[in-house]
Amino acid sequence: MPVLEKRVTFSNTWLAAALILPQMLLVFVFFYWPTGEALYWAFTLEPPFGGTNEWVGLYNFDNVFSDPKYWSSVRVSMIFAIASTVLSLGIAMLLALFVDRQLPGYQVYKFTFFLPYALAAPAVGLAFRFIFSPDAGFLSAINRVFPDLWNPALDGFDALLLIVMAQAWTMAGYNFIFFLAALQSIPRNISEAGAMDGANVLRRMWDLQLPLITPTLFFLIVINITDSFVNSFGIVDITTAGGPARATDLMVYKIYTDGFEGKDYSLAAAQSIVLMLLIVALTFIQFRYIERRVHYS
Amino acid sequence: MTRFSLFAAAVSTVAIASGAQAQERTQFQYWYGLTGQLGEVVQKQCDLFNASQDKYEAVCSGQGGYDAAEQNTIAAYRAEQHPTVVQIYDAGTVNFMLSGAIYPANKFAEEHGIDVDWDAYFPGIANYYATSTGDMWSFPYNSSTAVLYWNKDEWAKIGKDKAPATWAEFAADLKALKEAGVECGFAFDFDTWMNLEQFSAMNGLPIATLDNGYGGLGAEVVFHQTAFVDHMKNFKDWMDAGYAKIQTSQVGKNLIQAFADGSCASTTSSIANHGVVKSTQAEGMNWDVAMLPVLEEGKRTNSLVGGASLWVMDGKSDEEYEAAAAFLKYVTAADTGEKYIAENTGYIPVTTDGFELLKSEGFYDREEIAGREVAIESLTASDVTPLSRGIRLGNFTSIRAEVRAELEAAFTGQKDIETALNDAADRSNQILRRYEQTYRGADLP
Amino acid sequence: MIERTPVLDFVTQAILVISLVMLLLPLWIVFVAASHDYQTVNQVPMPLWPGTHLFENLATAWRDGNFSRVMLNSFIVAGGVTAGKIGIAALSAFSIVYFNYRLRMVMFWLIFITLMLPLEVRIVPTYAVAANALGPFEQILNLIGIEIGLPRWNLLNSYSGLILPLIATATGTFLYRQFFMTIPDELTEAAKMDGAGPLRFFFEVLLPLSKTNMIALATIMFVWSWNQYLWPLLIVTDHANYATATMQLQKVVPGPLFGAPPIWNTAMAANLIVLAPPVLVTILLQRWFVRGLISTDK
Repeated sequence: MPVLEKRVTFSNTWLAAALILPQMLLVFVFFYWPTGEALYWAFTLEPPFGGTNEWVGLYNFDNVFSDPKYWSSVRVSMIFAIASTVLSLGIAMLLALFVDRQLPGYQVYKFTFFLPYALAAPAVGLAFRFIFSPDAGFLSAINRVFPDLWNPALDGFDALLLIVMAQAWTMAGYNFIFFLAALQSIPRNISEAGAMDGANVLRRMWDLQLPLITPTLFFLIVINITDSFVNSFGIVDITTAGGPARATDLMVYKIYTDGFEGKDYSLAAAQSIVLMLLIVALTFIQFRYIERRVHYS
Repeated sequence: MTRFSLFAAAVSTVAIASGAQAQERTQFQYWYGLTGQLGEVVQKQCDLFNASQDKYEAVCSGQGGYDAAEQNTIAAYRAEQHPTVVQIYDAGTVNFMLSGAIYPANKFAEEHGIDVDWDAYFPGIANYYATSTGDMWSFPYNSSTAVLYWNKDEWAKIGKDKAPATWAEFAADLKALKEAGVECGFAFDFDTWMNLEQFSAMNGLPIATLDNGYGGLGAEVVFHQTAFVDHMKNFKDWMDAGYAKIQTSQVGKNLIQAFADGSCASTTSSIANHGVVKSTQAEGMNWDVAMLPVLEEGKRTNSLVGGASLWVMDGKSDEEYEAAAAFLKYVTAADTGEKYIAENTGYIPVTTDGFELLKSEGFYDREEIAGREVAIESLTASDVTPLSRGIRLGNFTSIRAEVRAELEAAFTGQKDIETALNDAADRSNQILRRYEQTYRGADLP
Repeated sequence: MIERTPVLDFVTQAILVISLVMLLLPLWIVFVAASHDYQTVNQVPMPLWPGTHLFENLATAWRDGNFSRVMLNSFIVAGGVTAGKIGIAALSAFSIVYFNYRLRMVMFWLIFITLMLPLEVRIVPTYAVAANALGPFEQILNLIGIEIGLPRWNLLNSYSGLILPLIATATGTFLYRQFFMTIPDELTEAAKMDGAGPLRFFFEVLLPLSKTNMIALATIMFVWSWNQYLWPLLIVTDHANYATATMQLQKVVPGPLFGAPPIWNTAMAANLIVLAPPVLVTILLQRWFVRGLISTDK
């Protein structure tokens, strides 16, 4: 729970309620109501077309938790989330800091770094297949020197690396935009003051700019981790399809295949609840421990 | 709240008013799953139907994939907004049979005056979409079956001009090809439709008890106890000996690409890919299709159909059904239906009438088509047996995924084939039990 | 820059250029694929240098995808989502950050949790809501004993149906909250001392300060809603009137099906067409990325 609060606030509760009402209405109608129904199915066995569903208590959860494959999928999801978040935030922050220096060409960089995020999924799939395929892609050059070093079709580690890179690649553009916006919001007189103190550019980045963009950094950490847990099935579907031998079977991809493809709504619902609880817990931890270090005003 | 509902009332009035304008023709909704070029062929067929008469209008919408088409139909049915006709892939058949949401094709045809000669359907196709008592509940639409694609130039190197008829002969050929310097004799992947389902059907092996599930929801898989295990062991041996290669898009080329560019001398795939190979093959390459090899010559049974069929949903108005009936008559007719599909895609005709029509017009004599009749030969290789009529297992999509994942584990050396297939069978049976419990009290028709 | 740092400048440029190449490589491949004929694009490996068929492919894709008719729909939808989200999220974040009421954290989390479950997982019940958006209220009223029939508000095949559900997520609220937290309390105090009420403070102080973040959010939201695929495909059956550009990709991109001819050149050309508007919008929006807005007020 966020511990930080404004000291100075307004106290017109009716106005506050009116301001938040549109959002709450939308969220209620299009998220909570349908989600509630979907989650209720976790405690029943729901036939796809509806009809009789019987209450089965924790049977679905029992099915989920007693499956060793599920636990490996939890493990893979954690690794994936952390690795892709660190990678894409690292890249995006570095690029934003450098672009923010406004060296020649920065107008070009400013929008090209964002492009990966704008590309629709089928194109991403084709491009990545081309780049990463061990026989035909760019990385086939590596295999000519070190045979079988890179083979995401047969090597689970390589496949995981592939989806990490694909996710980091798409999210890098997203993160870049927000980092740059944050950096550009820093008043120029602050960096000028730093320069006058004799601090060099890198020093200033570290001491002045970084602390000032921590609110955005925190926002992006939370969003990236959540996104890599929740929205990554598209990437998995077009690159590895969860394989080889379930090495990239992320939790959300399993939900997607069980529910969307297999039409086992109850099993998917039970896994959704587990996933949601996990992300809520992770987010809670982030608000509790990371946000303390965030530098607001 | 009152203002809200006023607004809503206004919105719905507008919606009704704008919907009312175009009511001269009777409209009905048709949803399909095919995408890309194939989806365009379906869309075009709708346009042709709409142009062919002025009483009815098929409103056709692509749903972006087979699984999405099934999912969306389910969602829409539950909100009472479902289409009248929907294209559902083979693996969704059992869900629809148990759904209580459909209007069985045989009943629909009878009650809406579509004169269907059910006996004209190739038995291998009819049985796949029929109930256990033989009633057809959907209209076969786009169909295919698996065949062997083989490179004649490569086989000529070992002095043969005929495709192998048995897997033993195939194995010997692979060895000879290797010795003749062919780098990759056979491209394979872990698709179960080819490797498990077609293999089992054509060799009279069971995949599950109760006649592959036709006998009821209590079926259990048995593929881990049949010759399928040895078949997969052979694949592994061929791979280890360098005769065969795994080819998936993840390694850069899928089966068809690896075959078409000449880098692998043979592969197994759907006949629907015939046109794709023709249009992308390496120049001058001589190749052909043949029926898949079997275990024992002379004991060949028919192969299985793949693809999708058209289902009529229940709960629509008489007018919509009337329009849908006209449409279904149009798309199942030999000339406007089967011929159209066969000429514009790689799919095959589904009735003897359609096949004869195409043959009489010299379709199969055309250079780029020649060979496709092998599919019909394979589908009709024998009378349909209880093991070759199809697979009727609940949540078969997930079972396929389990088998594929375990085969991947075996071929990457994480476990041996036997263990992998035992594990796959265990997990498949858990899926089946969940399915059975979900439909407790329902009878599989 | 404020001072000369040749070595660092060189390193900076080097890193930027290398990253540019790495990040744009996939885009380059899409572009190259869109510029070859069917035969060439299906060679393995595909050539890395553009061919001569780009305009031909673009023309085919434009025609097959019916893009002249659907672009406007996409603009309406993406514009609607973007505007709605920027506005609604700003209001809710303002409420959560600047008002002191007991449920504010509950509200924040209620909004926040919407990030945690993708549409694919709840698609069946969400469709039911779209078919009758007042359904939930009706059911609740019935549940508490008020037997009242609300009119059916059908969002299928409508702009509202394409827009409203996409606004109902939390990214915007969270981003504004993060930004509002950085705004010095002194500003609020000063505004209060001037006798400004909350709404005036919001419009005259908060919103102008949020401009850069708002543009970042608008960029993301525009692109994100432009690329929505599953939801429009589900709720639009009236393709003639409500199809969006991204939906058209299913008409050209070959699926994993047997027999689907791999016409990647046209498919990638269609991708380029679909990609172009959001890129243009991004470039336009970025012109408003202005440095140091807060500094004038300090």
